[in-house]
Amino acid sequence: MGTLFEPFTDVVPSFFGWLNQGPLTLTIFLHTIIILPMFWIYFSEKKRLNK
Amino acid sequence: MANKNVSVWTSIPFWRRSAAWVTGFATILLIWLSFDTLGQITMGTDADLLNKVTKRVPAATVINYKIGYEMSKERGHEVPTIGEKQPFFGKEWSDKDAAALLHLGKLTSQAKNCMDCHTLLGNGAYYAPDLTKAWLDPAWQDGGPLQGMTGKSTVEEAIAEFLQNPSQYPTHARMMPNLGITADEAKGLVAFLKHMSSIDTNGFPRNFSKSVETFKAGGTHAR
Repeated sequence: MGTLFEPFTDVVPSFFGWLNQGPLTLTIFLHTIIILPMFWIYFSEKKRLNK
Repeated sequence: MANKNVSVWTSIPFWRRSAAWVTGFATILLIWLSFDTLGQITMGTDADLLNKVTKRVPAATVINYKIGYEMSKERGHEVPTIGEKQPFFGKEWSDKDAAALLHLGKLTSQAKNCMDCHTLLGNGAYYAPDLTKAWLDPAWQDGGPLQGMTGKSTVEEAIAEFLQNPSQYPTHARMMPNLGITADEAKGLVAFLKHMSSIDTNGFPRNFSKSVETFKAGGTHAR
């Protein structure tokens, strides 16, 4: 198996266990969920300032 | 007005909204993680042991079973295994008695400040050996140098004997001082150690020695 996605082998299944199976999955998820809305915040502020 | 040269980076509302978003999201994530952890660390029950339900933290009655430590190919590290029944100090402990003994062991480990020198489940010091998997240390098993040193014939009796008279036995370069541990407290501590070794710690500690040979060669855990 590759190292990015590995089979789920946790004793107690959990969303975070599933998310953290590979070294990059959690990082990518957190960046997606935190950084993407910041783009939206940036552009909406820009629009507001332009008015 | 669309071409007016404005900078969002100097806008206070932008930073305020960004900070609110990141802080708010992180707070929700941490609260969620805390509740998620509860399921992982909740102790199993005696029924789980009988029905072979795998729990990360087994019930106190796990002291009635033989604990193994086997390489799991799919997880890539050793995992504790709960084997057949094994008398602990010559008897089988009831749910209530096992829990009481484990509680005494935990209180003693706190009262005697084991963590001043040892590491338990990742907490403590590395002045003395890591105790997380100490119960499984080959040196304490049949034929192991530490069990032989105490003249006892079981792991629990050997460790209990050592704990009551640690300064008599040269186990480590930095010898353990005599802490005035009583016979009952020593029993409790051994139960505490046995239970701890049965906890699935995702392969921690990593450098746990796997054979008497590696131990004799200085390859013990916690150096």
